[in-house]
Amino acid sequence: MSEAMKAADYKSELKPIWCPGCGDFGFLNAMLKAMEELQLQPENTALCSGIGCSSRLPGYIKAYSFNGIHGRVLPFATGVKMSRPETTVIAVGGDGDGYSIGAGHIGHAARKNIDITYVVLDNNIYGLTKGQASPTTPLGVKTKTTYYGNMGTTLNPVRMLIAYKASFVARTFSGDPKHVQKMLVEAIQHPGFSFIEVLSPCVTFRGSDQFKLIREKVVYLDDDRDLSDEVKAFDIANDEDKLTLGVIYKQIRPTYGDVIRHNVIERARAASNGTPDIDALLKQFQP
Amino acid sequence: MSKVLIKGNEAVIRGALLAGCKNFFGYPITPASEIAEAAAYYFPLLGGTFLQAESEIGAINMVYGAASYSTRCMTASSSPGISLKMEGISYLAGAELPCVIIDVMRGGPGLGNIAPEQSDYNQIVKGGGHGNYRLITLAPNSAQEMCDLTMLAFELSDKYRNPAVVLADGIIGQMMEPVEFPEPVQVIPERPWAVRGTRDSHNLVCSIQLDPDLLEKHNLHLQAKYAEMAKNEIRYEAIRCDDAEHIFIGYGIVSRILHSVVETLRAEGIKAGLFRPLTLFPFPTPQFDAFAKDPNIKSLFVCELSAGQMVDDVRLAVNGRKPVGLHTRMGGNVPTVKEIIEKFKESR
Repeated sequence: MSEAMKAADYKSELKPIWCPGCGDFGFLNAMLKAMEELQLQPENTALCSGIGCSSRLPGYIKAYSFNGIHGRVLPFATGVKMSRPETTVIAVGGDGDGYSIGAGHIGHAARKNIDITYVVLDNNIYGLTKGQASPTTPLGVKTKTTYYGNMGTTLNPVRMLIAYKASFVARTFSGDPKHVQKMLVEAIQHPGFSFIEVLSPCVTFRGSDQFKLIREKVVYLDDDRDLSDEVKAFDIANDEDKLTLGVIYKQIRPTYGDVIRHNVIERARAASNGTPDIDALLKQFQP
Repeated sequence: MSKVLIKGNEAVIRGALLAGCKNFFGYPITPASEIAEAAAYYFPLLGGTFLQAESEIGAINMVYGAASYSTRCMTASSSPGISLKMEGISYLAGAELPCVIIDVMRGGPGLGNIAPEQSDYNQIVKGGGHGNYRLITLAPNSAQEMCDLTMLAFELSDKYRNPAVVLADGIIGQMMEPVEFPEPVQVIPERPWAVRGTRDSHNLVCSIQLDPDLLEKHNLHLQAKYAEMAKNEIRYEAIRCDDAEHIFIGYGIVSRILHSVVETLRAEGIKAGLFRPLTLFPFPTPQFDAFAKDPNIKSLFVCELSAGQMVDDVRLAVNGRKPVGLHTRMGGNVPTVKEIIEKFKESR
């Protein structure tokens, strides 16, 4: 066993090029600390992303990183996890990448309970393309593509993920890195699909008062309740006057990999009185 | 070793498993669904993964993930599904990742129908996605070759770090024929470039090059790789071409019909031969150049289940030196031997 890793050891040689004041800095620091706390091995950790400001994150962390196609981080991460089950797989992206172009993938990674952690750094805007409306841009807000005010209601991602039966749903705020770290550690340890909505302000295109506005609405949850109570979880998600932070919903159920192992491999073993003989199975093709 | 009566689509999966493929990601579509169905049965039994993706786009991106980090992986679809996968295929080619894609072609454009066509030639052989990339393209004409060329696709894909496509038509996928399965592949090449390893090594898989000079350099590297494929990997079958005066050219199910055309014409005393490309990329251009230079050869005649897509490559290779006839059917129709002979005779 090599020496214990410190948070700074997980930093890559690249310097972040996010705007000064970006919420993603707070998340990055919390992420490095969570990696230290869990002693994640960089060679056994896959950080996957699509396209966007927050999708640059894997470049700033020492681990195996993948910067893929816009909106496709979940299928990509699923491919990694299914082919290399021993790898800790963390998918990261923003609200445009995840809730807009990639939204169709979320429900399926969630309901299949693929054992990965999906973190969305939600800044309510398309930042990398310089300020267009995203699915979480509030109603009425003017952006470069909503000159007359945003006309669509704002997506509530936490409610969406509970509805999709994600087995772990949490919300946190990059203005409180200690809380982010706590949520990350729990999510990465969770066996199954874990989702964290991180409120991570874009000071450039949503205004420098974002941190203050979010802080005014923040309420912290404690874990002193039945986390698998779906109705309670919906109640928390539905209260949009507040921004409730913490683990909102959690349910332990078999992952996709578990199901394959139990339903197929164990049965094949039982049928063959012990180890399934791969050569014998292949020989079936050559009678 | 005895033969098994089996559908071309199922032969693909048995070939894939014999080639050591571990991961299959797919989405249902006629006439390719039996490939995913066979994968759903066999892959988990052999300790691999089968996952029915939420979409074609999901499936190709799962392949992207598995190919970057792991060992042999594949997906399969039919024409409209392949169109959906094109963005991912361009990324896989740009990032130089090996994987195998099966395309069991059906009628188009649009929803078209589920009958056989060969109208994906351009989208597979010429590109389809964005950027300067090429896909190794193999064209089976039997259930046996659905197995054999799938196995070859895995070999070539690894050898060149490039996606490889088995381009079949609906008939070849659906037809049942006796197949003799070869021995499993024993040695699967290492992938030292894959995103896995030790704390001290760091591999990066990406298709982004922001600097124009670097991107041009990457493109030149890809082009050199494609030239290398053209030098080493051309495969074809030539039947009765040695003394032929008229060369019939077709791939997939069409080549089976053309074989009967050639035999029928030979019985009439006309010296006909069949030339069948097994690799559509790399295309057998040198062989066509040789035909063009051969004083015995009077004409070439191409038959395709499309408006005429492969014929462009034949004409480019022949470059006006010999007449190139063409007969095509579309919409899922397949020409008869009689019909082709009539068209050939009209063209003379």
